[in-house]
Amino acid sequence: MKLLTNVRKLLLLNCRQSMKQRLMTTTIKKATHDQPVITSAQLDELEQNALMRHHKNNVPRIRQLVEALQLSRHSTEEDTLQQLAAELQQLPNATHPRLVAYDNQPLELAKYEHRLHPEVGAKQFSELARALNLYRMEHLGNYTGHKSYYLMGQLAMLEQAIIQYALQSLTRNGFKLISVPDILPRDIIESCGMRTEGERTQVYKLDTGECLSGTSEMALAGFFANRQLTEQELPLKVTAVSRCYRAETSGLHEEKGIYRVHQFTKVEMFAIASPEQSESTLEEIKNLEIDLFKKFGINFRLLDMPPCELGAPAYQKYDIEAWLPGRQMWGEISSCSNCTDYQAKRLNITYKRARDRAVVHAHTLNGTATAIPRLLISLIESYQNGDCIQIPEVLVPFMNVQHSITKNKKIPETKLVKFIRSA
Amino acid sequence: MLRLRNIVGQCFILRRHISALYITGDKANENYVTLQPFLDFAGTFRDKVALQQSIASRGLNINLETVLTKYAAYQTQQKHLQRLEEEREVVTKELKSLTKSGDSTELLDKLRARGKQLRNDVKSLKQKLYPIEDDFIHDFLHLPNVLHAHCPQTDVEKLIYRHKPPPNAALVANHLDHKDLVHFIDNNRYYMMEQAAHFDVDAMQAMARYFVTNGDFVQTCNPDFVRCVLLEANATPLTQYHLVREEHLLNKLNTAYLTGGGAFESFLGTITKLSVYPSVLPLRYVACGRSYNREDGLVNGPTPSLYTATQTNAVQSFVATQTAEQADAELEQVLNLAINFYKALDVPFRIVYVAAASLTPSESLRASIEVYAPSLKRYVCVGRISNYGDYVSKRILFNTRRDKHYDFLHLVGGPVLYTTRLIAALIELGIKLEANKLPGALQLGPSLQAMNQHQRDLQEFKDLFK
Repeated sequence: MKLLTNVRKLLLLNCRQSMKQRLMTTTIKKATHDQPVITSAQLDELEQNALMRHHKNNVPRIRQLVEALQLSRHSTEEDTLQQLAAELQQLPNATHPRLVAYDNQPLELAKYEHRLHPEVGAKQFSELARALNLYRMEHLGNYTGHKSYYLMGQLAMLEQAIIQYALQSLTRNGFKLISVPDILPRDIIESCGMRTEGERTQVYKLDTGECLSGTSEMALAGFFANRQLTEQELPLKVTAVSRCYRAETSGLHEEKGIYRVHQFTKVEMFAIASPEQSESTLEEIKNLEIDLFKKFGINFRLLDMPPCELGAPAYQKYDIEAWLPGRQMWGEISSCSNCTDYQAKRLNITYKRARDRAVVHAHTLNGTATAIPRLLISLIESYQNGDCIQIPEVLVPFMNVQHSITKNKKIPETKLVKFIRSA
Repeated sequence: MLRLRNIVGQCFILRRHISALYITGDKANENYVTLQPFLDFAGTFRDKVALQQSIASRGLNINLETVLTKYAAYQTQQKHLQRLEEEREVVTKELKSLTKSGDSTELLDKLRARGKQLRNDVKSLKQKLYPIEDDFIHDFLHLPNVLHAHCPQTDVEKLIYRHKPPPNAALVANHLDHKDLVHFIDNNRYYMMEQAAHFDVDAMQAMARYFVTNGDFVQTCNPDFVRCVLLEANATPLTQYHLVREEHLLNKLNTAYLTGGGAFESFLGTITKLSVYPSVLPLRYVACGRSYNREDGLVNGPTPSLYTATQTNAVQSFVATQTAEQADAELEQVLNLAINFYKALDVPFRIVYVAAASLTPSESLRASIEVYAPSLKRYVCVGRISNYGDYVSKRILFNTRRDKHYDFLHLVGGPVLYTTRLIAALIELGIKLEANKLPGALQLGPSLQAMNQHQRDLQEFKDLFK
């Protein structure tokens, strides 16, 4: 019967009355057996939300299970209950009401232009980096894997400079640095709203059954799992530098090179806030991102993402796209989301509310400070200047006071032999 | 019967596994050959005494005599094959010239019949040779590198440097008791906070920067997955790393392993089959990255701690030289840089040449950098530098051209810093986790984590005018 109560609690979490109310409140009441099971109208609303977000629509299945449960109300249908609980876990978060009118198109909120780029003739990252001997991606599949890459010389130093600069900026803004693990148990990743099974999973699995983290948000969320914080501690802001592993592949021409890779380094922001704080915390994270990219002096735009781009956990999400002059396209370099209590419920992250000492679920938020490969594309393409690349002023102190990236003749060119006859 | 089949199956799997590095012609259709190692039979067997000594000192279960017998059989068959092929070539040439001159058909028929016979003989001999080749070559690839003259051939390591004696404190708090700095769950999962987290990033970056500025190293960022063929080429035990399950694996033998970009093996991808001009030598690389060796730390057990953890930030060094003498000098230079780095922390540490029995088959010498770990009451390895000679280069065809022939390059390298273990030791030794005193550290004013709120506000105000 305890299980039934839990499932009913879950049902209730997903079927609060008004949209606004559903979005910004947390459930603390305990469900009793006498409370009505989710209504058909509420299921309609959940289905509409899932469809609007282009999310897998499992509401028909939930409907079937609820009906089965109602029919066998007095017997313990453990299997049905478990299935229902699993299906409910798969439902996406609610959606911010302002996004409903977006018609699946992002809304450009602002554009920041710091540089003048030539309309034509700008070279692409791969061409520039290869000419300077600072990058290798070809003929590596059999040795270090599909889409693997080496950054050499000043390009590798630039990666570390970006990390240091981002950390400096974040710690000055009250973010605490945490070293995080990259190998995580499956349940933590799934609690963050990522599927680990199925054909199109983006999650790498190891021989031990554990998974590789796709973003440090997962490790950080796992760190706070089952923790009860106090309201005074909120908003709690942390940051991590981690290696991110993504099994996704892309055959798209515009995503060639290091634009979409299986492994990369990222500085991530993660925050835990009260429901009252979460909207302003998201704005703070967004502003920090904007500030970072302004300092890098690249051209970028801020987008408010429509429901179909939110994934499962986000209630709302901002993306930042940088202009990549070599590719002549906008490329996503950062994003930040408010996951409200979606992850917190799955990971049991709570806080004790000061006013009534009630223990309620917190809200979680995350944002990308710097994801290296795409930022490198943006910086190198934006700062190209004939035979060299200018280094953005803010990164110069982290680059041993070098002001430009030039060809490195100490790095061998990629001249390969096929075979050397054995003696 | 079923059990027997299982055992045979397992043996088959094991045998197949080895073949990622060497695949005989009969299996090349089903298994894609990615690399053909240079097999230096003459060079390997030139000094049999040294090879035998290396096998014995490492405690390897290899009978050199048996390998040599297999080599003799392999050579006999190869010579036979060569003779047949030479004869076939002669017949082909004769056939061509006879056809052109329009000579007697009788002789032509005879030659054609001989040619056919030879073709069949070659084919059947090759079929006969494949198992002999398979058997011998895999034994050959298991032979270890010869040992360096400095490598202790006894069970005892050789001390070559020591800084500060270990402290005598009777009671030491374990680093895991510092809950404000470390949250340890298991060997795969731990978190570090506050100064420990900053030191984790800053120390790694400082050391890499120090190698770049003071050692003329080129910094790199390397991939995290390394395929089986390179691990075999480096004679890395496959159990050291996690196997990555890939959904669409094209070559079932050449699976990927999670080494981390801060592992030595990760450098091998960029030098496999690479031919370089002598002008870039010595080639010195240094990389910052993760290292995920799941066996390396287990010697610091049995109690799981940061000393036994799989994941760590690491600084990995890699040097390629043309000669063995240059390789020796480079190893010394890397050690000198490492000594300066650890001395700046004023931590009790030592450098030892590890006993032969602890080396992997590809290493001829290993210097281990060890910091004193009070909770374990002994030294733990926080870095190591190995000399591989040209053993690995031959297997991955890393070469330089000289007078129309190939010189295989001598490799020196290894992780010079594992941050996780160093942080554990520093906490226990009561040494402050301050990266700004390290050589190579960024000198950008007071460290940010040390700033109070007023200083932070002031800094923010100053930043507005930048």
